[in-house]
Amino acid sequence: MLSSLWEQTINLTLFVILLRMMPPILLGALGGLMTDRAGVINIGIEGLMLVSAFTSVAAGSATGSWIIGMAAGVLAAMIVSYAMAFFSLKMNVDIIVTGFAVNIFGAGITVLMMSILYDSHGSYVPENPVSIPNVVIPFLDQIPFIGKLLSGHNLMVWVSILAVVFCYYLLYHTPYGTHLRATGEEPGAARSLGIPVVRIQYSALVWSGFFAGLAGSYLSMGMTSMFVRDMTAGTGFLALAVVIFGNRNPFGILAGSAVFALATAMTMIIETTPGNVIPSQFIKMVPYIVTIVALVVYAIRKHRKTLFT
Amino acid sequence: MNQRSAVYLDLLGILLAIVAALVIGIFVIFLVSDEPVAALQALLIEPFTTLFSFGSILNRMIPLVFTGLAIVVVFQSGVFSMGAEGQLYIGALTGALVAVYLPEMSPWIHIPLVVLASLIGGALYGFLPGVLKAYFKADEIVSTLMFNFIATLFVSYLLNYVFKAPDSGGFARLPFVQESAKLGPIFDGFPTHAGFLLALLAALAVYLLLYKTKTGYELRTVGKNPLFAEYGGIKPKKVLILSIAISGALAGLGGTVEVIGLHGTLKDNFSAGLGFDGIIVSLLARNHPIAVLLSAFFYAYLQVGGQIMQANSDVPRDLAIIIQALLVIFVSSQAIFAYLKQRKLMSSRGGERVAK
Repeated sequence: MLSSLWEQTINLTLFVILLRMMPPILLGALGGLMTDRAGVINIGIEGLMLVSAFTSVAAGSATGSWIIGMAAGVLAAMIVSYAMAFFSLKMNVDIIVTGFAVNIFGAGITVLMMSILYDSHGSYVPENPVSIPNVVIPFLDQIPFIGKLLSGHNLMVWVSILAVVFCYYLLYHTPYGTHLRATGEEPGAARSLGIPVVRIQYSALVWSGFFAGLAGSYLSMGMTSMFVRDMTAGTGFLALAVVIFGNRNPFGILAGSAVFALATAMTMIIETTPGNVIPSQFIKMVPYIVTIVALVVYAIRKHRKTLFT
Repeated sequence: MNQRSAVYLDLLGILLAIVAALVIGIFVIFLVSDEPVAALQALLIEPFTTLFSFGSILNRMIPLVFTGLAIVVVFQSGVFSMGAEGQLYIGALTGALVAVYLPEMSPWIHIPLVVLASLIGGALYGFLPGVLKAYFKADEIVSTLMFNFIATLFVSYLLNYVFKAPDSGGFARLPFVQESAKLGPIFDGFPTHAGFLLALLAALAVYLLLYKTKTGYELRTVGKNPLFAEYGGIKPKKVLILSIAISGALAGLGGTVEVIGLHGTLKDNFSAGLGFDGIIVSLLARNHPIAVLLSAFFYAYLQVGGQIMQANSDVPRDLAIIIQALLVIFVSSQAIFAYLKQRKLMSSRGGERVAK
């Protein structure tokens, strides 16, 4: 079993699967990051992803264009996240409660729409599926090792990595980013300096809708070509864990997402290896245990001085 | 404004929220359905028309009361634990093991033993994230969510590989529980099982714990104002761990009551989100243990109604889920209450001015 894992590491299969699994976690976590840094952590990423996944595949297959599908999915998630912001910031609903409600809402509305539009309760496979294309780099894909390393990945893989750079630039090199971080650190102080705290928090939540929307459309139009009820299966929650694991920093989150995607990829390889003796439940547990350990390690690092007092 | 009128306003606000969510739901039904009247009748009226469907509302309500109470305890203590689902699985596991593998004995001994085992199992599983939060400052929202996944997978592993009943085939489960560990119907011919009485008792116990004991006072004080509580000599770490352990015990008992009352055995993935439903139930009840009985009933009523609606009309039951999500948001919209209170306040002041 170990030898087969080793073999797949050498021939880059593990790496390819890792890149395939990474975008939803990474994009979801970037969405979580924007809200976390603005002091309004969005635990509804899971629900937003579901809304976008369904809208994307429905709009995409109806129009035959993945771009329209993706745009519709992202827009839908942004609208829901705007509604979230309205209820949290205007109607004073606790942000955790709103996020929680969005998770239920996302699970309910997608299945409701699926059964109304397609008369199905479990899954929807479009007759003419469209998908986000893979990026084949000409000439480079002919070179044995480097070809597999860089070419043939889904467009969203590159988009998600670019999104990391974008978030980093936005948060640390623009006035908006400074205001956003100030809002999250000390809203009272930020307000006294004339920073429009509420408007910044609105925008942070809508950013989370944008990133979760991209993640969702990749789930239904990139990783698969269909919608399955509750297909996020906890990815949104993992994304939140990655925010903390990655030290609330875009590049840390990139590393964190890679670790989680690696755990998922190894699960897939070990599960499909003939003669495997490890029950699948244990393998599936690994990312969650890693998260808890990461949570503790992160907290110890952060509060080293104040702990145990 | 005196306290009683504040309570009335709160109730009025909740009623308004329920009405608003239902109106939106009804609007959606008219939008999507070809037979809206039949759908509405199935959703709202038919749950009450037969003894069987009324009994199944009460059966549905039982685990929701337990998980709702579990959330009440942590939320009142200012702990945002989302871990009721995992604690429910672990409590169901420990309870079910005692119910299945102890020999036949008097139910008056066996059932308390089962209950005790589930309380301990659930409490220990709550204890874990509590300790991580208290001593390592590990955020409890994320850690409890992760513990949920771990518990579900761990129980699934045990059911599939260790304790699997030989005759259970594709759907892994334990062997059936001993006769002496079963909770029978409350009275003959009525589908509701005796877990209902346990749920009522649990609500009363949580009420007494929170409002009539020193521990309850400490929990609520930490929840309202942790700094004040600490100055007052309350140990926040102890309170945090205690609240999440009590919460785990309640959720665990809820899981076991499902096992010995409804299913007769522990099944793989039997819960499907009961722990998360508890969060909704608790929020609807404004985190009050007695009100949990009402909100759990209402929630179960919506679920049973949704099922009947799906069977008897062209509207799927997921509509009920959307009504639930709207309910959570509307009931929690404190701005509405603040607005109502302010108006009341202004009108009472106005009255005074006239009197002067």
